[in-house]
Amino acid sequence: MSSTDKEKGGITRRKFVKVAGAAGAAGALSLVGPGIPFIHGRAKVTLRFLNSEPDADSIRVLKVACAEYERKTGVKVALDTIPAGQVYSKLTASINAGRPYDISTLIFIGDTLLLAREGQLVPVTSLTKKHEWGPKILFPFDNEVWWYPFDYNLCTMFYREDLYQEKGLKAPDTWDSLVENCKALMLDENKDGMYERYGIALPIGTGGPASYMTFAFMWAEGVELFDDKWNIILDSPTMGPKVIRYLDFFAELYKTMPAGMTQIGFGPPLNLFASGRISHTVYTGRLVTNLEKFAPKLTDKYKMIPYPDSKGVNKAVSFGYDAWVVVNTKYSEESMKFMEWFTDNHYINFLHTVPLGFQPPRMDVYEDIRWRAHPMLEKYWWVMEQMWDYLKNPNLIIASIDTQGPAVDIRPGKVFNSFALPEMLQNKVLKGMPSEECLKIAAAKMRKALA
Amino acid sequence: MPSSHHSNSTLKSDWIIKFFLVIGLLVTGLFIVLPLIHAIQLSFYHLESFVSEPQWIGLKNYAKALHDPVFWRDLLNGVIYAGFSIFFQVVLGIGIAVVLSKSFKGKQVVRGISILPYLLPTAIVSLTFLWMMDGSLGIITLGFAKIGIYNVPWFETPFTAMATVIFISVWLWTPFVTTCFLAGLQSVPQELYDAAKVDGLSAWGTFWKVTIPVLRPILTVIVLLRGIWMFNKFDVIWLMTMGGPLGATEHLPVLAYKKTFSMFDVGGGAAVATLSLMILTAVIFIYFKLFPFEEK
Repeated sequence: MSSTDKEKGGITRRKFVKVAGAAGAAGALSLVGPGIPFIHGRAKVTLRFLNSEPDADSIRVLKVACAEYERKTGVKVALDTIPAGQVYSKLTASINAGRPYDISTLIFIGDTLLLAREGQLVPVTSLTKKHEWGPKILFPFDNEVWWYPFDYNLCTMFYREDLYQEKGLKAPDTWDSLVENCKALMLDENKDGMYERYGIALPIGTGGPASYMTFAFMWAEGVELFDDKWNIILDSPTMGPKVIRYLDFFAELYKTMPAGMTQIGFGPPLNLFASGRISHTVYTGRLVTNLEKFAPKLTDKYKMIPYPDSKGVNKAVSFGYDAWVVVNTKYSEESMKFMEWFTDNHYINFLHTVPLGFQPPRMDVYEDIRWRAHPMLEKYWWVMEQMWDYLKNPNLIIASIDTQGPAVDIRPGKVFNSFALPEMLQNKVLKGMPSEECLKIAAAKMRKALA
Repeated sequence: MPSSHHSNSTLKSDWIIKFFLVIGLLVTGLFIVLPLIHAIQLSFYHLESFVSEPQWIGLKNYAKALHDPVFWRDLLNGVIYAGFSIFFQVVLGIGIAVVLSKSFKGKQVVRGISILPYLLPTAIVSLTFLWMMDGSLGIITLGFAKIGIYNVPWFETPFTAMATVIFISVWLWTPFVTTCFLAGLQSVPQELYDAAKVDGLSAWGTFWKVTIPVLRPILTVIVLLRGIWMFNKFDVIWLMTMGGPLGATEHLPVLAYKKTFSMFDVGGGAAVATLSLMILTAVIFIYFKLFPFEEK
């Protein structure tokens, strides 16, 4: 570069290096500088809200509520949305990095317990005590409630009533009748082994969907995983025979399922049912919304029942709650104020974003005419009424792997994530192992997960 | 003066080299070395989450991992997955590169298309294959049914699940190997081929005695790089099988992830990751001894 260029203020390498160095240093400082507020500094107070409900309408309602709150109070609420499976990792990473979210969604009570035990959450008892709640949803510990639930995610069975009528079948009340009905409704028009319609689709893969959707038959049979002292009792003289019965039943039911059950997640059972490829499925009320959207021909052709046991005595549904927590940050007080305002004013709006999918854990909502006024709820009130009955019926078993045991604890979470139960099914149906052997391996795996 | 100008220019160029070296070291230190040290440090503690109070337990996490049959099963799975993936990637990569190095109509278009799989995001590829191999609706499954092969258990037996993830990994990353070898093939002097012709070597003989020896340095690097990448490859397996069925496709990265983020055992996960690093380092050391890089 000539001296003339320099005089004109052209960029020399030295200048470039200086500028780059200064920019780098500023960047580094912005990353490591303690007490240099990045987001919090932009407004008087900015709360950070980690959402894991990805539905566009849910995000819209949250954003509108946040904007309204800012207009009223001057407190900004910044929303981040990530998949539910990553929410705990992201929240703990944010805490560990010294820039915690102020409010977050959580999907496991074990995660909530762990964070509360470490002093990372503030109790929301003052908010939850305003209302009556359904069973098995608040999970208080240390005499406090640590999350504010917004969805039960009850998983129940659906069957094609029109096909039942065609074949003169009755709603299944026992495992045997379910297997028989599934077999009766399989369709192989070309007799080539490629069925046009199967009986049912239940995930058996190593993952959350199987744990959530496939074991309510076992809960209906009265199976429990822990005794009062947190010992694994799956293979005990009381539980073992029940589990073996369940495995034998499942092996028969598996014969009526399409191939690929190790791979299916939450969506495929719904899609297969909507496309008429299966005559039974299990899902939440979200199925109703999806049928309305994607398979309107089926909207009046199905019925809903809980999972039966082997003898037709007990019924069960599984569940997978979602809730909000308030993180113990310097803005906890502001976060609580926001949560109070939001749950008082926008809870129903939020529930409306997935009208039959978000099943209210707050019992007052079922009688709230504002909530019931949603067109989908009006149209399919019979579905929601039945799901409401599930909560009111003391004889119906509501259970999940991660809420087993005598108290709230992370041990059921460990058992859940060991995937010992889905693998028990895989051993049975993929390897053809005797049920006793499958049970023994599963119980050993659970104990190892807790060791 | 020319000599002074030359000296100034050398000084400046040295300065720039040093500057970028420092930047490189800083970035490496900040984003690789520090997290690595932190991960190793975590492996000596018991902690249930990243926000838990860590408890020093020395080497217990390592002892636990090494006494766990699952660790050894996952190590073997990793070796099988990486080994077969590399083998097929290299064999197919060289084969395709040789074909693409020949002159034919539309060569440039075919070359462009051949790199496509490598450009696709792994998540998209994995999910697309999952749907195509769906046991009920998948186009590949239905295609097999058309030729009389029904209900192929793509992911339902340990063998087919492993074969499937290997197949997808080969499909996805062979183009990288092809591109490298294609570049290498351009550097094979034509005289060598002419000499081989004069010596009466067949096409196969020419390939083994001329092409492969010339490509050997590239082959050494490719096998090393692909080996490291495949041994640590997480996304394809996680997205397609999550390590199942029955742990048949679970390898050490998946085990480390599960322990850390699902089993409330951050220290245990860090120990598995550290052991994995140590094993890989030892293998690379042996590899360098066996196949030293040629210095030219």
